[in-house]
Amino acid sequence: MKRSNDLLVGGVVLTVIVALVAGILWVKQTDIAGKRDETVAHFRDVGNARVGNSVVVRGVVAGRIEGIELAPEGWVNVRMRLDPSVQMPSDPVVLLNESSLFGDWQATIVERRALPNDASLLRDVADASRDRGVLPGASQPGIGKLTAVAGQIAGDVASVASRFGTAFDDSAARALHASIRNVADLSTTLRDIAQSHASDLDTLSGQLRGAVTTLNRAAGVVEITARRLDSASTSDQVRLLVDNFSQASAELRRAATQVRDLTQRLQTTQTRAESFLASGDSVLTKMNRGQGTLGLLLNDPSVYRHADSVLSELHTLAADIRANPKRYISVRLF
Amino acid sequence: MTTLLIPIERLGGATSAGIEAVGRAARFVGESAASVRDASSWRGQVVLQLRRLGVDSLPIAAFIALFTGIVLALLASYSFTGAVPLYFVGTLVEKTITLELAPVLTGLALAGRVGANIAAELGTMRVTEQIDALETLGYDPLAFLVVPRVIAGVVMFPVVVAAAMVIGVAAGAAASVLLLDLSSAEFAKGLRLFFQTFDVRYGLVKSASFGAAVTFVGSAAGMRATGGAVGVGRACTRAVVYSAVLILVLDAFWAITWLLGRSAT
Repeated sequence: MKRSNDLLVGGVVLTVIVALVAGILWVKQTDIAGKRDETVAHFRDVGNARVGNSVVVRGVVAGRIEGIELAPEGWVNVRMRLDPSVQMPSDPVVLLNESSLFGDWQATIVERRALPNDASLLRDVADASRDRGVLPGASQPGIGKLTAVAGQIAGDVASVASRFGTAFDDSAARALHASIRNVADLSTTLRDIAQSHASDLDTLSGQLRGAVTTLNRAAGVVEITARRLDSASTSDQVRLLVDNFSQASAELRRAATQVRDLTQRLQTTQTRAESFLASGDSVLTKMNRGQGTLGLLLNDPSVYRHADSVLSELHTLAADIRANPKRYISVRLF
Repeated sequence: MTTLLIPIERLGGATSAGIEAVGRAARFVGESAASVRDASSWRGQVVLQLRRLGVDSLPIAAFIALFTGIVLALLASYSFTGAVPLYFVGTLVEKTITLELAPVLTGLALAGRVGANIAAELGTMRVTEQIDALETLGYDPLAFLVVPRVIAGVVMFPVVVAAAMVIGVAAGAAASVLLLDLSSAEFAKGLRLFFQTFDVRYGLVKSASFGAAVTFVGSAAGMRATGGAVGVGRACTRAVVYSAVLILVLDAFWAITWLLGRSAT
């Protein structure tokens, strides 16, 4: 009984230990018999790569990362175990990158000429290529960095949206609504105007077209004239023309001076005439009011009648004097 | 005035009772540890206890692990649908089984089976005065009865839990391949993605502490049983309840002391 217990317990313990160890070795893909080749790559930074991550060649898993160690001069050495049957590219470079959006990384062995056109990446690879005996490597930015940048942008957008929300209150919305309505009215009015003036615009455009034609023609004439002027300038005719022009302008300056004097005199005469007219107006006003002798003469009919009768009597008197001078004139010498 | 003092008196009584219980337990553990030196008393009993507590517990542990692995795989696929790649089922099954479910569920199951068994056996021996007879014959009852059980618990709980881990992960893999649209390679990819030997180490150390707790509590409850069959029944109940509580407390203790601040990758 005791022996069977010993056997049973020993068998169970051994079985469980073997099963557990075998499971762990299988999960960790441990190279028990040393069948795999070890390859070392050289990196400045390994990102989130971890021991156990896959090594991929042309999209096929060909091994795993066996170890990650810090090396002198700021390098990080990554040891990889690869299947011996894997044929490496002619000029291999190791890229560490994310294999999915969920944080798992992988080491991808690619040919140097197949590297992505990224200046930073190419610089890192060139830097890592100086050491012989190890593969050059570089790590590509992870989704974490990209999402951090995207998060920053989203924060900025949220800030702008918040400010817009603060500024765009109810009154601003009402003002905007009114503005939109005004713009709508304006567009309607403009449409009506455009419709009503469509024929005018056609006419105008026709006229403009004609004007443009005329201008073209005038430009041609100007060009001909310019050509003539050009030819004239070569035979001193222009200088003669300029001399004549200066003489004419001097005469014009003199004439202008005379005109200015004449204008001043005319202004003086006008002032006097205005004064005279004002006086005359005053006299006429008084006459119209019946003031003064002339006013009485003009406005009082009795005066006229008296004056007329006086004149009539003066006529009669003059006739009587002519007929009978002696009655009125007596000449005595002594 | 006396009415006001009653609650304070009760509080004081409860506190002193709690301290006494802790002291008794500590003394029991200390005396048991001291009894380890008496190897001639316990050496002959260890293998028997290894078989009774460990090997005989394998079927129930395997049964629990089998269904836990299946349910966990289906639960993971249900939760991941459309959002997370399905190969993460392997990751979730591995992490959950090795870190938590295999040690805790197996520990709770064994708390019922092993803890109650020890409490009933030792309690019956106590109430029938067999332990007194041992003392009369010059045997150290702790060395003869408690130490082999505790050693068996500390040794076999990790073995049973290790078996549960293997069976649970295998059941999860089988369920993923047979019931879900997941290939074995994809399951293995998820399994390997974040696997660390630490996960297994953590689960096994935790289960060893559970084994010690369950066997100590069961032994203490049985050794202190009084009052015939009723007292034995009470001892069994106390052993199971205290063991289960202690397992959860220890689970939290290990998580805080060993997992906190540690990266999963």
